[in-house]
Amino acid sequence: MTGWWSWAVEPFAFEFMQRALLATVTMCVAAPLCGIWALSRRLVYLTDAMSHGILAGVAGASIVGGSLLVGGLLAAVTMALFVSLLVVRVRIPEDGAIGVVGQGLFALGVIGVSLQSDPKALSHILFGNPLTVDQADVVIDVALAVVVVTAITVLRPVLVATTFDPLHARTVGLKVGLVDAALLVTLSLTMVTGLVTVGVLMAVTLVIAPAVTARLLGHSLNSMTAVAVASGVGSGVAGLLVSYHAGLPTGPTVALVAVLQVGFAAAWTRPAVGVRRVLLRDRGGHRDPAYSPTVLGYPN
Amino acid sequence: MRYGHRAALHPTDLDIAVGQSVAIVGHNGSGKSSLLRALCGLEPAARGEVILHAQACHHRRSDVEIAYVPQRSDARWDLSFAVGDVVAAGRRRPWWRRPGRADRAAVADALASVGLGDLAARPVTELSGGQAQRVLLARALIQRPDVMIMDEPFTGLDPSTVDTVVDLLTRLVDDGTSVCCALHELDIARAAFSRTVALADGTVVADGDTETVLGAVGVERIFTRRATT
Repeated sequence: MTGWWSWAVEPFAFEFMQRALLATVTMCVAAPLCGIWALSRRLVYLTDAMSHGILAGVAGASIVGGSLLVGGLLAAVTMALFVSLLVVRVRIPEDGAIGVVGQGLFALGVIGVSLQSDPKALSHILFGNPLTVDQADVVIDVALAVVVVTAITVLRPVLVATTFDPLHARTVGLKVGLVDAALLVTLSLTMVTGLVTVGVLMAVTLVIAPAVTARLLGHSLNSMTAVAVASGVGSGVAGLLVSYHAGLPTGPTVALVAVLQVGFAAAWTRPAVGVRRVLLRDRGGHRDPAYSPTVLGYPN
Repeated sequence: MRYGHRAALHPTDLDIAVGQSVAIVGHNGSGKSSLLRALCGLEPAARGEVILHAQACHHRRSDVEIAYVPQRSDARWDLSFAVGDVVAAGRRRPWWRRPGRADRAAVADALASVGLGDLAARPVTELSGGQAQRVLLARALIQRPDVMIMDEPFTGLDPSTVDTVVDLLTRLVDDGTSVCCALHELDIARAAFSRTVALADGTVVADGDTETVLGAVGVERIFTRRATT
């Protein structure tokens, strides 16, 4: 017990680990809250592409000596605008538009990063490193996370209305496009919040994976919210500790813990189905129609 | 009304009196949903206008409250939203204002009026088809509508739920609400609607007293022939 206690607590005696913990937990609270809505509104692909597109803004800001956070945010908003333009005006399918704009900005970002003198810059932006965050980063992260949590909380009723039935929402005067835009900006802020801690590529994992875990384990919006935040914070703390003790990169370790939680949640909620299928297939006697090979789409 | 180059609804004049119940019938693709969406202002008409209580309502700034009940399949029943939250979405309020005590009381009243008073906290994922349809009705009722527009509300419902919905519509009409409902069930149209409008290929082919319209051999033939192909 004492061994486990010292394993879990002693690392946080260091000041850099305290800052890392605060920055990571902040991100791990904000990201899953957004993730629930990204998942519900089928924005996962856009979120993933946005994480790539942000790189262009970050690289640009780095070159001109501006704020990386502002650069990343501008890139995310620009991406959302271009995607809307291609979908609405040029009538390109949405996934095609997201792919083109996201990858285009990512390519631009990689070129931008390659122009810089520090060869580790790309790796740092993509995968982050919470162990290097300073006081100013923590303050900005906390401020951005407060904005994200407040926005999601205030927007919750209109998000429910426009996600459940966007057509009806328009009849009661809600501007569905504006709600979409607000959610996209909030998602962009979340991604930028994760820039210095887990990096832009890993940030998207913290947006999506805890939300998927919550979808598997939660039975209502409130319980999904609680599970998502718990999963996110758990991933952040566990990832930090594992990376500290094992000497692994922190961002990917945090992301991997979040993904593993999805696996555990799936095994927890769906174990009976797999076992039942195997048993019925092996016996060959009584067959439940719901699990018959025909229903499952296999030939008889 | 047009979708691209295709005319979904040809020029149509339709007067609906206050407190009238109108069934819109026609084959799939005949323009029923397009007509309803034009009435709600959801789809812009290529030309023409919708006038409610002597007010044009192109931009939904009319004082007349229109409640729209879409097809059940249009909503996301796979998401675990609470029934109460879904019904509260029918209340008009500023986007930044969270539902208050008055909103919660209105939700409780609306759910009680459709017989689902104890389901406010239940996730919509756990509802039967009949309960889901009644939730959509409650969301419309919470608007206290002057005009209720419904798109195929009886599809897939068992007879007892159909009776419940018909009773509810009858009460609404008795209270002076105009009801305009697209449906495929001619027996329900006969039982519950005083007037029927038949559409075929985006054109009104019959309009009048329900018994007269549905008794006309030609209209019934158009409807059944196209509906079964």
